[in-house]
Order: sequence, then structure tokens, then C-alpha cells
Amino acid sequence: MQFLAPDTVEEALRLLSDRGDLRVLAGGTDVMIQRMTGQLPRSESLLYIGGLADLRGVSRSNGMIRIGALTTHRDLRCDRTIVTHLPSFAEAAATVGGWQTQAVGTIGGNLCNASPAADLAPPILVADATMVVSAADAPMRIPADRFFVDRRRTALPAGQILLEIEVPAPPEDTWESYLKVGRRGAMEVALVGLAARFSMVGNRITTARLAVCSVAPTPRRLRHAEEALTGSTLDEEAAAEAARRATEEVDPIDDQRATATYRRMLVGRLIRKAARLARQSLEIR
Amino acid sequence: MTAVGMGTSRSDADAKVRGLAVYGVDYREAGMLHARLLRSPVPAGRIIRLDVTEARSSPGVHAVITAADAPEHRNGLVLLDTPFFADDMVLYEGEPIAMVVADTATQAQSAIETIELEIEELEPVSNVAEALAPGARLLHPDLDSYEILPGTAPWPKGGNCGGVMSSDPGDVDEAFEEADVIVEDVYTVPRQYQAYLEPKSATASYDGWRWTLNVSHQFPYKARSRVAQSLGVAESRIRVVGHHIGGGFGARLDLGIEHYAAIGASLTGRTVQLLNDREEDLLSCMSRENATIRVRSGLTNQGRIVAREFECLMDSGAYAGDTPYLTSIVLLMAGSVYRVGPTRVTAKSVYTNTAPSGAFRGVCGTYLCFALERHTDRLAQAIGMDRREFRMRNLFEPGDSMLNGQTLEDADILREAFDRVEDAAPWDKAGKGPLRGVGSAAVIWLTNPLAGSATLGIQEDGSLGVSTAATENGSGAVTMGLRQIAAAEFGLDADQVYVTSPDTDTQAYDAGSQGSRTTHVVGMAIEAAARQMKPRLFNIASGLLAVPPDDLELGGGRVSVRADPSRAVSLAEVARTALGAGGPLSATGTYSVPLPKWDPDSAEGLLFPVFPVPTYHVHQAEVEVDPDDGSVRVTRYVVAQEVGRMINPDGVYGQIQGGVAQGMGYALWEGLESHRGRYTRRTLESYGLPLAVDIPDVEVIILEHPCEAGPFGAKGVAEPPIVPVAAAIANAVSDATGADVTSLPIDPEELLAAIDRLQEG
Amino acid sequence: MTQELSMEVNGIRRTVEVAGDEVLLDTLRDRLYLTGTKRGCDEGECGACTVIVDGAPVHSCIFPALAAEGAEVRTVEGLAGSAGRLNPLQRAFVDQAAVQCGFCTPGFLMTLTALLETNSSASDCEVDDAIAGNICRCTGYTAIRAAVRSLVREGGA
Repeated sequence: MQFLAPDTVEEALRLLSDRGDLRVLAGGTDVMIQRMTGQLPRSESLLYIGGLADLRGVSRSNGMIRIGALTTHRDLRCDRTIVTHLPSFAEAAATVGGWQTQAVGTIGGNLCNASPAADLAPPILVADATMVVSAADAPMRIPADRFFVDRRRTALPAGQILLEIEVPAPPEDTWESYLKVGRRGAMEVALVGLAARFSMVGNRITTARLAVCSVAPTPRRLRHAEEALTGSTLDEEAAAEAARRATEEVDPIDDQRATATYRRMLVGRLIRKAARLARQSLEIR
Repeated sequence: MTAVGMGTSRSDADAKVRGLAVYGVDYREAGMLHARLLRSPVPAGRIIRLDVTEARSSPGVHAVITAADAPEHRNGLVLLDTPFFADDMVLYEGEPIAMVVADTATQAQSAIETIELEIEELEPVSNVAEALAPGARLLHPDLDSYEILPGTAPWPKGGNCGGVMSSDPGDVDEAFEEADVIVEDVYTVPRQYQAYLEPKSATASYDGWRWTLNVSHQFPYKARSRVAQSLGVAESRIRVVGHHIGGGFGARLDLGIEHYAAIGASLTGRTVQLLNDREEDLLSCMSRENATIRVRSGLTNQGRIVAREFECLMDSGAYAGDTPYLTSIVLLMAGSVYRVGPTRVTAKSVYTNTAPSGAFRGVCGTYLCFALERHTDRLAQAIGMDRREFRMRNLFEPGDSMLNGQTLEDADILREAFDRVEDAAPWDKAGKGPLRGVGSAAVIWLTNPLAGSATLGIQEDGSLGVSTAATENGSGAVTMGLRQIAAAEFGLDADQVYVTSPDTDTQAYDAGSQGSRTTHVVGMAIEAAARQMKPRLFNIASGLLAVPPDDLELGGGRVSVRADPSRAVSLAEVARTALGAGGPLSATGTYSVPLPKWDPDSAEGLLFPVFPVPTYHVHQAEVEVDPDDGSVRVTRYVVAQEVGRMINPDGVYGQIQGGVAQGMGYALWEGLESHRGRYTRRTLESYGLPLAVDIPDVEVIILEHPCEAGPFGAKGVAEPPIVPVAAAIANAVSDATGADVTSLPIDPEELLAAIDRLQEG
Repeated sequence: MTQELSMEVNGIRRTVEVAGDEVLLDTLRDRLYLTGTKRGCDEGECGACTVIVDGAPVHSCIFPALAAEGAEVRTVEGLAGSAGRLNPLQRAFVDQAAVQCGFCTPGFLMTLTALLETNSSASDCEVDDAIAGNICRCTGYTAIRAAVRSLVREGGA
């Protein structure tokens, strides 16, 4: 096997099209562990793109926030644009492993790895993000909610890489957050992660967005639950209805970390917690 | 005397913060070979075929070793039930079947992967209930023929039980008839992995007659005897050299993988290093055993406990390990701390197709205390009495006896500990508010009495060397405590005293870092050595100063005339003079703790009959439970611990903080559960060790009641702080939520259900 | 098959041949004999292997060695001053009894070095957050917090 470290995106794409045995890695925090534990073949050569500076960083223009695929979790949790406008991204990034993982792990890696527990997935789902992916001619655009195909499978075409994530800047009077439950206070794979976003006009919620990880083979939106909150004041009753619907929308499993029952309980409670926090923060009466 | 009771830096800290301390895994020799083990992929089965032909001719391979090349006899800590390599049957997932020795670890691993192993899988005996069920498959059909450790009295065993301890005073049933209320509870706890950060390792060489092992081991003399036993050779043919230990917590007291490195060395004639990777370390480690505890007590409406039945089933895994000893501790705890009336006790060590369990700081005390103190809360609640009031009414008084007949003349320290906790964190004001609670737990614990030794030498530069096979496992007992004791004996500063690392060829027997014994036992050995050496030291100084020895005193690195301190001679000069006057100033002291009296008829199978040099402990936890996810946050934690006399505050506080953190892990997150003989959490990540964000600072109250037979009054300190933690936290969580916490780790899902019941009710 | 890796380790340019998928921890320990960096878990959980690569703490047990090409790598062996004097953080670990078995210590020292270089007035909460990726099994973390606090109080490392 070989370790290839191209200097440019073009070179990386050329190597990918020339050779069929390459595994792309950025920070390597998932790929290296998967190789060591035999989940990925050790014969694969590695295409290291972590050094491609063009794909790292956050910019904002024309109402659109662009996040380079190689932006690290540490970048996200410290970036002023992200913290101000997309706090659920910063909050999610802050829960991915410890500093050592956040320093090299990237948003692109987290999403392309497509773990059912990917922390950055719920935030991109509630933000209506678009995944900008390399393609033969012009970059291809995949809506976030069509990106996750199955456990550890994405819509990313073979031989291509994720370039950036485009996120429309949220409207005024929007509250969003990422709420995660693990067993310990940090370093946890989410038992449930919930991103919630509520936009308000007057005293009413005009847009409610909820997305979860770790309760289905892929991270997913909770559209029925969202409907229960749209037009509401995030009152207890609406939140309870959303929570009830959400428990029907998810399909968690028992594993060594938690039971499906507990995960279901958590989804509902996190939605009620999100509604409570948003109501306070948006000063809804 | 200035050196005792004060803080002093540990002598190994400098090397450790520079990254220059050599641990077992860092030890290297030029040209050494590397070994890897083939471990059983299944928990139970019969080996049908083991073909190592291809492995033998793999690149870089020097030897492939299987049961056919190893001694046939069985070995063990007390019951000799363990084969060198699995031969016919495999009894647990991770059991060693073969070893490859090669130029590199990668080559060894590649060769391992060529071994053709065929196992006819059997349905595992996966838990204690299955093992004790009528008609259960016997893991050790030849149990009755197994040898036991020479010098050990035989104990009851049979079927799938490697050991049974039982005690019945005969009047228990009658006593229950006096009870107004009877409460019965069952508690279950999982295994706890010691999770030392340095995985196990061993490096061995062989000179044609003797083996040398370079290891990180808490008990080099036990490594020596167990390697000798497993190889079937005399102990004196084994030399064990100890290096820095990256945490042990009991897991490095028994034989680990040292004998595999040893046989690799003797079969290749080369130095062989064997390193566990983390997964195999976790899967094969002798973790704290899982257990089921049933306790039934009768009490009067006035709150007096009049009778008790106590039963504990310990899962020893595939081989008995230390569990035949641990059953005794059940007797020692079932009726201590609180007066309980006549009590019937049974404890069984039970074989299952899981990794052998073993010693972890506090051993079975952690879960026995959990069961007993949860049950104590339930007794108080059954008669509507305040839980603290109930404890105070039943608390031991001086002269009360434990169930082994051992009398505790200083049991009033328990009440003092409760009082001091009350002063710091008054019970009636603690844990108030929604989903908040308070809980307490108390325990009496021992100082391990086993033998130790130390050799002192005044050096020609005036410094004092302490040579001992006692091990520095991280607690500071050797690099702080023993240095300070030696310094105080000779009126030196601690930094004028150095300690050596263990080597069984050059130091006399020491029973290792276990049961809080090092400071106490080896401290006494140092005092004994000092008593031997001082007369000669004063005699030589007397000659140099022309003053009678009785008029001299030691201090500040000098021997001086008491009446005129300006007349003095340095220790360096005394040491140099000694070389020409009979030889160097050196003396060896030895010690073992005299055992307190007990009643040998109190139980059958009592291999570990007493708690020598007992110490007293009260813990109080305050918690808050999160209504959204059921997680528990410890908001305040107070420890009152009796230590005899504190030799080093940093050491004592460090042991208490660290022990409490491990106890919090046990209470809230850790646990090796198994399903059909396989652990479900198999990595350090999924295991869930406590992090800084999870562990609050602990408030520590030290009680000093100097021990007459202890170095400067010191008793054991390091082991017990872990013991009451799960109990105190579980009681607090139950207080906060109404959940009857009966298992560990405390399950947030159950707490959410309890919170729902609270809110509905 | 090996590939050439050139990096600066503790201020010294080092060029070594490494396997393509070798992790930096193996390069440091087995090729450069810098055994102060410890292996605890092989999965980026325990933090004993933490080193600083271009200013950021990383788990060297899962960090591809060749990703350090051209990088500045710092390990525990590089912390002490020119005359071999312990640096203030090392000194604080010794003085505050933050070292017990010491196997986690190199990793903690490297993470905290990165912290104090970016935030010399870190609060207890910021410290706990920074060391979430470092496990200590001995101390219960109290003495480690105290060591950092002693530096923060003195006005930074």
C-alpha cells in the first residue's frame, strides 16, 4: 500500500480517477481506526487530502455560508460566523471526541464517513445545506437530506470528493441548537443527537426543523414531529405531540451503548427540551 | 522527624514528566524478538485441530509454541486449575492457545494468522445461574483432583464452584422470628476493568539455567513464584526485575503474560518481548468479578437489626484466580459497621466460560458495600426512620465483633467519622431540591498484612539508600512514603533518601503493592532496619567524637553531641569510617503484621480470616439527576477516612481522590457485561472511563488515630477510598428519584422511568 | 514498502523511512526511540499518545506518520528547557502531585501545553474540556486541575 498526499484538489481527483484502490482520508480519526480494527482492508492505499488548504475554512457571502469540507471541528467551534449564525454546527463539533480529534477531524470526514451517529449530520439536515461534490465537469450539488443513503453509505459518487457544504444563512429570529446525550460528559458516540431549528414570525413558529442521529441507519429529519410544532408557540402541548410523533418516526436499535427503548425516550425528551430552550431564548409568550 | 506528615515530591516524578521513565512496555534489549499470542476466538469449545506448520515457516519466525511444547501441569494462585496453553478445551474467549516468536511483532502477527485452528464450539456456560443450574456442564470435571497451593488448608469446592465459604451460627431462624419487619433485596453488579493505561507486557531472557523477566508488576515475588510454578521449576531460577508501572489497581498482582515470554525465551535462547494490545488486554484481564448478592434482614419497629441472611455468588470466570480467598471477605463485611444479630452467610466462587476475574482495588468490598448500604437504606425506609438516624442507632461500638469473631476495640472511630462528615455537610440540609438527593455509606477495611523487607545503606556521601522489592505502583508509597519514613528515622530530608527499583535477585521478599500495605508493612521493616543499624552508627561516631554513644543524636545529616551540637561528625564520614571498621553501614529489616484474634470455627472455607489493622471510612454523596436524560451528576462528595497517621498529605489525598474517581466510574459508567460468554464492550472507548468533565473535586477529612504497631502510626490508606463510593452514590440517586437502585452501573433509563413515576404520583 | 518522511521533531530535522500506513506513535517510539510518548489504546481514546503537530494536539496512535511531512512535531521529551530544567508546566505537575503512575502524564503535558499556549488564563471548565481526550486512571483529575490552576494564578505558563 502507498500513502499519497496530493498538493491540489485536481491532483487528488486525477489520482482517484487513475487508481481504484484508494481510500480517501482527511484527519484520519475514523479511517485509521477502521483499518486497525479490520473494518477496512489494510491493502488499500491512502489518499491523504488533509493538507489541501483550499478546502478548509468558512466564508460568508450573498446570504450563503460556505464551509470547506476540510474545515476541522476545532475550526467550527471557534469560527465567529459559525458560532453566531450556525451555533448547532459549533455545538455539534464541540462534542466530537476530544481536542485531539477535533484538531484534525473534519466536517467532510464526519459526513462522508456516514456513521449513523455522525454529529454534524443533524445540523446540516436542519440547515437545508447543500453538499458540493466534485464531478467531471462542474461541481455537483446534493441536498443534505439526500446525502445519507444507508449506514456508512452516502450519495457521493465513486472517485469524487466532497468540496464544501453550502448553508443558507438562517433568517432573523431563528434559534438552533444541537443536543446530544452520551453516557459521560464528553468523548461519547451519541446515544441520540438532535439538531433543532425554529424560526419565528410574530409569536408563532413558521419553520420547525428537527433532525436526529443514532436512532436509524442514517441521520434523518423528523418531518411529522416538525409539523406538530409549525405554527405553534412551542407550548408544552405542541412539544408533547411532536415528541410523540418523533418516537414513531425513529427506528433505533439495542446495542452495547443503550437500548432502543432508552433512545426513543431520549428523542422525545430532547425535543421537549429543545422547545423549552427555544421558547425561553426567543422570548415566546 | 520533620520529614513525616509533610508534603515532599515523589522521587520518580522528574523522570515521569520528562518522558524518561522506562515502563515495562518501554524496556528494550538489542536483538530482542517479539511474540504474539493466538487467543481463543470463542468462549467455549473443544480444539479439533491446531496446525502450525505454515506459521513455523513464515518469514522471521523463530518459534511457534503450543500446549505440546509447554508444561502439562496446571498452575494457579491458590487452586491449580489453569493450563499453560489451552489444549483440549478452551474455556474463555481470549484464552491463549499458541504463541509465535518472530523478529518483529508484525511478522509474529502475520504468522499467527496462518495458524489453522478448528474449534468445535460449545454452548457457553455464560453466567452464574447457568453454572449452578442442575445438570450444568462442568467446566472442570477434574476439579477434585486439582492441587492446591502448598501450605493452604483445603476448602469446600465442587461442581462448578471453585470455592465455598459458609457460616451458620445456628440461631438465625429463631432470631428472624423476633423481627417485626423482614426486608429482602437482590443486587447485581458487572465486572469492572482496572483499565491501567499501560497494557500488560513482559520481556524475558534465558541463560540456559535461569530466566530474567523485565516487567511492570505490582508483586515481583509473586511473578517469580507463579512463573516458576507454571514452568515447573524452582523459584530461585527466576529473576524478576521491576520497572515503572503504568497503573495496576490489582491487575498486576497475579501472573499475567510473564510465563509466555519466559517459555519463548527458553525455547529460542533469545530475549523475547510480549505486549498485549488494548483489546486483548481488556478481553483477557482479570477484572473485578461480577456478582449477585442476596441479603435478607429482620428488624424491629424500633430499628434494631435482629437477624440476617447473606448470600454472594461471585463469577470467577474460567479459572478460580483469587476468588477462593475473596469469599472470606463476604463474612468479614456481612455483619460489620452496623450490629446485625445472628447472621448466616454463604459465598461461592463460580466457574463460567468467561475470562478469569481477579483483584481490583477494594476487590469484592465495592459491591458488598453497595449491597449492604443500599439494604441499610431500605431497612430504615421500611420502618419510616431517617436513614442517618437508623445508621447511628445500629453503629458498631468499641468492643463489637465482626462475624469472624474479630473484636474492634477502636470502632468508635466510625462514629467520629460520621460526626465529622456531619460537621462538613449536615445531613438534613444535604441534597435538597427537585431530583437532588443525598446518600452515605460506611466501611471497615483492612491493611494487608503480608511480609515485606527493606535494606538500608548509609552511603559514603551521607545519603541513605533504601533497597526494597516493594513496588511503586503510582501511589507514592515507595517514592514518597518510604523515603520519608527512612528520612525521619535518620534525621534527614527526604531528598537525601533514594529508593531502588525491585529485583528479586538482590532484595528479600516483599508481597507487593496490594491492600494498602506498602507504607505500613515496609515502613515497619525500615524501622526494624534502622534499629539494627543505629547502634553501630552511634558507636562509630562515638569513636570519632570521643563521646559515649548515649550522648549523641542524629539530625541534619550529622551525628552530634547532644550537649554541644557544634561537635559533630557528618553521616558521610561515619559511613566512610565504617568501611574500615567492620564494613558498610547496612542493615535489613523485615516485618509482617501480626494477625488479630478470630474464631476459626466461625466459618468453613475461611482462607482470608481477618481484617488486620482495620481502618474506618464514611462517605457522603450528593447528586442531581437530569430529568431530560436520566444522567447523574455528583454535586458534592465528602470523605472521612481514618489513616492512623498521615505520612504524606499529597499521597493520602491523591489516593482518596483517585479511588473515589474509580468508584464513581463503577457507580455510573463502567462495566464489562457479557452476552453468551462475550464481552459486549470491547474497547476502551466503549468501556467508558471517567473523564475530567465527569469527576468533581472531593472534600477530604482525615482522621488520625496513630497505630501503635505502625511506622510513625501509619495504617493502610490507598485501597479503601474506592469501596463505599458506589454505595453512597446509589443511595443518593435513590433518594433523588425514588428508584430502587439494585444494579450497577446506575442505569439512566431506569431513572427516567422512576422520574416519570414521581411526576405522575 | 516504505516511504520517506521528513519532519522536525523537538526542533531537530529528522528524516526516516516509514511504512505507508504507519502511525506517528510507532515512528516516534520505534524509529526515533522517543518512548516518552505512550501507547494506551490504539483508538484515540486515552490520550497517552498525545503529541503536538504544528501547534495542535493530536492522538499520535491514529495519526498517519506521513501526514506529518514537513510538520513541526513536539513530544514530551522536548518540553524541558535548554539546561535540562523542567518547564513551568512540568514543575507544576511535580509540585502539585499531579503525577501518580505517570503513564498518562506525557499526554496530559502535551495537551495542556497546547492549551496554555493559546489560553494562558484557562478556567477549570476550559481545562476539563481541553483534557476530555486524556484519561488519567490514578488521580481523579483534581491534582491535574490544581497544577494548571497554579500556573494560571501565576499569570500563565
